[in-house]
This record gives sequence, structure tokens and C-alpha cells, in this order.
Amino acid sequence: MPAASIDVRGVSKIYNPGSQQPVKALDTVSLSIADNEFFTLLGPSGCGKTTLLRLIAGFEQVSGGEILLFGEEIAHLQPSQRSVNTVFQHYALFPHMSVAENVGFGLERLKKPKDEVVSTVKRMLSLVKMDHLADRRPSQLSGGQQQRVALARALAPSPKVLLLDEPLSALDLKLRQTMREELKQLQRETGITFVFVTHDQDEALAMSDRIAVMSEGHIQQIGSPTEIYEHPVNQFVADFIGDSNFLDGEIIAIEDDIVTCKIGSESVFEAENSGNHAVGDQVTLFLRPEKISLTHSTDESTDNHRRGKVSNIVYLGNEAAYTVDMGDGISLMAQARPKEDGNLPFAIDDDIAVGYSNRALRVLAK
Amino acid sequence: MSKWLPKSAAARRWLGLTPAYVMIGIFMLVPISIMAVYSFLEPNPYGGVLPEPSVAAYVKLFLEYDLEDNLVFNPGYINIIFRSFQLSIMATVICLVMGFPVAYYITLQPENKRNIYIYLITIPFWTNLLIRTFAWIIILGRGGVIETPLLNLGIIDDSLKMMYTDGAIAIGLTYSYLPLMVLPIYASLEKLDFRLLEAASDLYSSRFQIMTKVVIPLCKPGIVAGCILVFIPCIGAFIAPNLLGGGKKLMLGSLVQFQFASARNWPFGSALSMLLLSAVVVALIFYARSARKKEYIQGTA
Amino acid sequence: MTERDLKSSNMAKAKALPVGHYRGLGVWNFFFMVFLYAPIAVLIFYSFNANRMVINWTGFGVEWYIKAFNNEDIQDAVWNSLIVAFVATGVATTIATIGALILARGGNFKGKTASLGLMMLPLMVPEIVTAVAVLIFFATIGLNWGLGNVIIAHITFCIPFAFMPIRARLEGMDTTMEQAARDLYASEWETFRYITVPMLMPGIVAGAMLSFVISLDDFIITLMVGGAGSTTLPVYIYSMIRRGLTPEINAVSTLLLLFSVAIVTAYWFVSKKSNTKTVH
Ligand SMILES: Nc1ncnc2c1ncn2[C@@H]1O[C@H](COP(=O)(O)OP(=O)(O)OP(=O)(O)O)[C@@H](O)[C@H]1O
Ligand SMILES: [Mg+2]
Repeated sequence: MPAASIDVRGVSKIYNPGSQQPVKALDTVSLSIADNEFFTLLGPSGCGKTTLLRLIAGFEQVSGGEILLFGEEIAHLQPSQRSVNTVFQHYALFPHMSVAENVGFGLERLKKPKDEVVSTVKRMLSLVKMDHLADRRPSQLSGGQQQRVALARALAPSPKVLLLDEPLSALDLKLRQTMREELKQLQRETGITFVFVTHDQDEALAMSDRIAVMSEGHIQQIGSPTEIYEHPVNQFVADFIGDSNFLDGEIIAIEDDIVTCKIGSESVFEAENSGNHAVGDQVTLFLRPEKISLTHSTDESTDNHRRGKVSNIVYLGNEAAYTVDMGDGISLMAQARPKEDGNLPFAIDDDIAVGYSNRALRVLAK
Repeated sequence: MSKWLPKSAAARRWLGLTPAYVMIGIFMLVPISIMAVYSFLEPNPYGGVLPEPSVAAYVKLFLEYDLEDNLVFNPGYINIIFRSFQLSIMATVICLVMGFPVAYYITLQPENKRNIYIYLITIPFWTNLLIRTFAWIIILGRGGVIETPLLNLGIIDDSLKMMYTDGAIAIGLTYSYLPLMVLPIYASLEKLDFRLLEAASDLYSSRFQIMTKVVIPLCKPGIVAGCILVFIPCIGAFIAPNLLGGGKKLMLGSLVQFQFASARNWPFGSALSMLLLSAVVVALIFYARSARKKEYIQGTA
Repeated sequence: MTERDLKSSNMAKAKALPVGHYRGLGVWNFFFMVFLYAPIAVLIFYSFNANRMVINWTGFGVEWYIKAFNNEDIQDAVWNSLIVAFVATGVATTIATIGALILARGGNFKGKTASLGLMMLPLMVPEIVTAVAVLIFFATIGLNWGLGNVIIAHITFCIPFAFMPIRARLEGMDTTMEQAARDLYASEWETFRYITVPMLMPGIVAGAMLSFVISLDDFIITLMVGGAGSTTLPVYIYSMIRRGLTPEINAVSTLLLLFSVAIVTAYWFVSKKSNTKTVH
């Protein structure tokens, strides 16, 4: 395993300790980020992402645990002594300085020679395609341009780690998608470790090498985008990332790698055995809508086929989301593409076939 | 620089605040405390005080010695105090009546116009009070801007004698502190959500009811602030009663000044100042309480 | 517009006022402005009166301006006013800046509210009370520095005026800029020097301008505290008014007025500019 660039060991953070309302923002969080990795912290608002980032940057002190930067404990270091730079949530560009002055600020503080400052600023600005606006003030830039300047400013001192706190959240959808690719490419080119904070799951899946899903100050799961999406460890992760069907039930039989569960009063579903389960366990089964195939007549190529009745349709343009009533109080969400003439394949109250493979249905521990 | 500053945050804090403490503490708090002490001493006829405790200064507010050395009731000072309150309240009410519609009107204007109006209203406030009051002598005085055309046209045939009246003082006070009424009312109206008025109108309120049931209750903190800001300088005013009242119609402020400049009765002047200060404190407490009420309303909303 | 509004507008024939608008407000506002500015206009107008008496208009002339310029007492008074205003502004603004930095950025500490109250105290005490209290104080301790006494009093009451815009500016400035600087390897002192001070500058300039105008315009405190030889321009104008109303008073007043208006206008632009700058 390559050397970890950041090691977070059992870190807790309590705001306003000893006051009337202490806030436990992080609870014994541990994670290890490899060098050159694009690592994303993903989670709903208020789960402690920014807090973790600020602890790494040095704007806050840990309440417990320790943080190592390339194997070195950093608690005693000022933010200005850490070779870590931050792209702030709302950029925090210095309003009284030009774009070039902003980008050169860190280099000057590091007492780099004048000509080196000038050339690095130039290089950074062309890297983010902002060289033509070097003399502007931040207030004269668009949101996307400010974003690029913030990026150039943080990259200019060539930090070993770049911390980015929802850098794309203030941009509109199109720009966000462009910047996503640019950021990813930048990371690949510079080889700097990126710690990226977002609450946008698409962003996380599209850019990251690994993702840590957080909730209420805890880490729920760490893994590659496919691991997180395909093998969520619990219902929170499965629910937070992508759409899911959840079926609550009880295991009635286990055979090799197939688990048989009773859902509702009499329905029986078979699912892939994902771990240590025993007969009688209360479990939640989980099935991604796109793993379900909807057909008029039974599709023999799937492992499981059932029948249901369309109870609701939401038209989304490139596809339609169907809610299918399976009887016994169970309903499943699934997707289908419109036909070539643009019409939808099924209508409300149609009796249709629902198919999925055994491996698509998984057991989540309670 | 950071090298020779003390290390601990607390020490730095107190070091930084010391100049302010020294200036305001020594040259404001201490003098007021000394003044409070002086109000309980005997006057020195040549100015200053004699170090003998006495409540004579406060007694003097109500009583005086007649020719036979008996203490009798003297309404003179009470009248001046009464007039001070009367004129200050009058000026405050006039300011409110004049200023509220203007503040409201400004709120209705587009942003750039609003800024211009606010600028126009602040300008007189920042210009010299003495000069602005002096201008009213030219307007109200004998043979002044108002009288002369009326005399020439034969509408009146004698001076209107507008100067040296309570009315002249009231106008002077109103004019002096009018901006202090408009600005806080405007500040609170500016935050008012105009959709509330539309909602009220949608719920069958007349224009009058919209004003009395929605606008005025919601900007009450601004109105109270404006009234306090006008009332406090009015009650201690010196220039308006001095120039427009001609030293005959005294108010508390000019009475205080008189005790130090001419009458040389420092204890009595100090006692009057203490009276003034307590009026201000009462007004400020009133204001603080209404401000707290506002917080309460906003907190529950 | 609601349906009801439409109906009533049809009935009233004339276009209905939008909700929240009232008839006559514009006219009221107009007369208000006239009331506010007419006295100032009259004052300026009569400064060009050729007559010896202010009130008897006999013809246009600028001789009173010339007379005022050549009046040595006025020159002395102007000097005194400027010296007092410059020194008081410099000291008060420095004190207020440090105070505001500590009160807005020093975190919570015991005595913070009391310190804030103390800073604002000179605003709450009526001027005449301040004036006599300081007079008593100087007399009691026997301090007799002439203009120095006046300067000390001015510093004291200028502090809150300098303090208010600086503090307002600091509260509008969030600490992320400073954090960003620290992140980019700036030391504490460099952060203060390159980020805090430049960003605070508009507030400092505004505070200094306000103190300057306030000091320049002060009359009652200077009248009571200042002895012979420390006559400032407003005090001199007051003595002129007592002696008799000549257009020379108007001429001097007009000049002082224009000077104040110029400063306040400059202040207006500074604060406007700083407001638009903070938006990002
Ligand atoms: N300075 C502070 N004082 C007290 N509580 C704080 C402070 N900063 C954050 N918190 C609290 O700590 C928790 C985590 O906050 P944090 O800013 O880390 O969330 P986040 O995951 O970044 O959320 P978002 O996506 O909204 O930015 C929240 O409950 C928040 O209210
Ligand atoms: Mg955050």
C-alpha cells in the first residue's frame, strides 16, 4: 500500500464544549487517504464534512484523536505551516487584490523570488484558463471564473494536499459538469491528493477514486464509487446514493449463497447472500430500480419473474419511472425507456411482468 | 510587531482596550461622577464648590428663601423643567408626524432614488447645528423672510413677534433633529416585507387598516428608536432655546449652561445635569424594553 | 394584482394605486425637503447681501466673504478648529480601530458588553452634560492646557463616531478571508497587514470622516471647556451672532457648511463603494 498522505485516527470534534449546547460534529472518525488520490467526503448537510476539512487545514483543533500528514502529527502546526491548501466554499478571494495578486499571495508569503512568483502565477492562470483576466478584481468575475481563480490560488504554492469544500455548489448545472471534468483532469495532471467535499452524489461518483459516505458525524462507508453504489453496507448509504427499493422481511432459509426471505404476509424473495446472516434475522432487501426489467410478457432470461400492476408513472424524458404494485402490500420502483415513437411502453393499471436477476437483490443488515 | 505584543489573548485584549477605557473612563465617567458629588456640595460664590455637604441644590429646584428667610415654594425652575419636557415632547411628536410619511415614501422608491433621498436627509444632520438654528433667526426674526413680504403686502401691519416664543423653540428643535426621526423609521420600514401588505389587502383590509394593522405595528421599533433619538437631544438642547428663545424662554440645557457660565452655582448646575441624565436613562430603559419586546416577537415568529 | 383590485380600479376609473401606496405622499415628501433645505438656502442667499444687516436685503455682493477671509480672528478660529479636528480624529480613530478589532474579532470575553457600552457612552449622554462634567473635571484637577483641553474632550466624544462604521465593517467581513490567508502561509501579522487592514480601510476612512465632521461642528462642549485663546470656528460664529447679525456670519457659515457637506459626500461615496465591494 502506498504511503498515506492523510491519516485521520479516531478524530472527534465537539463545538462549544462545556457550554449549554455542545455540538458533536465528528465522532471518532478514522480514514486514510492515499497519496495522489481523489478522495471525496459525501454526506447530507450538517454531517461534519466541512468540520473534517477544517481540522485537516488547521482552522479548528481536534477534541480527540489525531491527524497525520505524511506520517507526521500536525496538531501543533498553524494553518500557515501545513503544506495543505484549501479551496473555500465561497472561494474567499481577497476582494482588494487583482486575480494575479490573489494567486501570487501564497508564493509571496513563502518568500519565493519575484520572478518565480510571476512565472508560477502565469502558469497557474493558464492552467485554469484565466490568463486573460489576470488584472481583474474578483468582483468583476463570474462565479465560474472566481472558482478557477480560487483553484489556481490554492494550487500555486504546490501543496501536497488540496482541500476543496463544495467548490462547485455555487455554479449552474452545465458549468458544474464542465468543471467536474476539468477538476478531475487537473488532479490527474498535478498528482496532488484532492480531498473533495460535496453533498452531490453524482459529483462524487463521477470524480472520485474513493468516497467516504458520512452521516451525523460518523463514517458510514468508505469505498470506490462502484463499491459504494453496488454494495452499500447499510440502508443509509443505499438510500443516499441513487434510487433504491427496500423490502423489510425475515430470513426463512439460507442455501449456499442464496438467502430466502419472507416479505409482507406471504411473499417470498430470494436474494444474494452478502454476509453472515442466520435464519430468523430481520433484514432489509435492496434492489436498484435499473436492475429490474419490465416487460409485457414474462422475460425468461431473468432469474426471477413476477407479475404486478402499474400504479404510478413519472415521465422523466429519457425514461419513465414506474411504480408497480406487486400485491401483498409490496410495491417496486422500476424504469423503462420510452418506445422509439416516444410513447411510453406501459400505462396505468397494465398488468406487466417484473424480472430481475438473483444477484441484483441484496441483503442489508439491519 | 507581533513580537513585542503580549502572548496571551486576554492580555492583548486588555492592552488594546486600555486607550478607550482611559479616554472615556477618565474624561467621561469620572467627570460625571465628580459632577454627581458636586451636586451635593455648597456653592462657592466665586465659582466652584465649598467642601461642605448639602442638599441645597436639590431643594432649590422647588423652594427658595423669601425676604424673611422663610422657605417658600418657587415654581420658577419647575416651570422651566416642565417647559423642557413639554417642548421636547412637542418637537418629538411633530418630527414623527412629519417624518413617518417621508420615511414611508422613501421606502416605496426604487433603490437609487432611495439612496439619494437618504443622502438628502443626512446632509443637514451632519452640518453645523448652530448655523442651521441661526438660519431660523433670519426666517422668523423681526423683518425676516416671513414678516417682510407680509408687511409689504399689507397683510399685517405690525411684527408677528415670532422670535423668543415657545413656538420658535419648538420649530428650532424639530428642525434640528428631524433626520434622527426619519432614519431609524426608514431602517425598519426598509426591512418590511411588502408582500405582507398585499396579504392584508387580499384579506379585505382598507388602505387605512393596512397602515394601522400591519405597517405601523411592524415598524414600531423604528418609531420608538426615532422618538428616543429626537427626545434625548431635545431635552438637553442649548442652542435652540438660547438663540430662538432669546435666553428668556429657558430650557433645562440652557439653564445648566447658565449656572456655569453666569450664575456660578456649580452645585445647582450639577443637580440640574443629574436630573437631565436621569431623564435620559429613563428614556433609554424604555427603549431597551421595547427593543427586547421586538426580539421576543421576532423570536417566536 | 388580485381580482378585487382590478374591480376597484375599474370602478375608480383613475388608475388604482398599488397596494401600500398612498395619495399625497410625494407632495408631503416634497414639502418636507423644502422645510429641510429652505433655511439653508436662505442662509446662503443672505450671505450675498450687500447690506450691513443680514435681514435688510439691499443688493448682491460678495464683500462679506472678502471681509470674512481677511478677519484675523476668523483665521485663528479656523486654525484652532482644524488642529482640534485633525488631532481628535487621528487619536479617536486609532483608539476606535483597535477597540473595534478586539470587540468584533477577539471572541467572547467577560466584560465585552460593558466595553461596548463604554465605547458608545459619549453618544448617549446629552452634550450639555458632557460639557459641564468635563468643565468641572478640568477645573477640579487644575488642568489648563488651553486647546489641549478641547482636544481631549473632542477625542472622547469622537470615539463612538469613529467606532461605529469600523465595527459595522468588521461585522460584515467574515473571517474566511483571514483563514484563506493563513492557509496560504501568511503569518498572523502578515494576515493583519495584507488582509484585515486593507479590507477594513473603508470603515476606518468612514469613521475618520465622521469624527472629523463631528469635531469640526461641535459647539457646546468647546464653548464650555475651551478658555480664551482656544476659540474654534463655531464658538466664534456664536459670539458673532451675539454681537449682531451681519452677513459676515452667513458668509462664514456658508463656507463651514460647504466644507462639511463635501466631507459627508466623500464619506457617502466611500461607504457606497465599500458596500458594493464586499459583494462577491
Ligand atoms: N463553529 C461552530 N460552532 C458550533 N457548531 C458548529 C460550528 N460549525 C459547525 N457546527 C455544527 O457542526 C455540525 C457539522 O457542521 P459542518 O459544517 O461540518 O457540516 P457540513 O457537513 O459541512 O454541512 P454542509 O453540507 O451544510 O456544509 C453541524 O451540526 C453544525 O451545526
Ligand atoms: Mg460545509
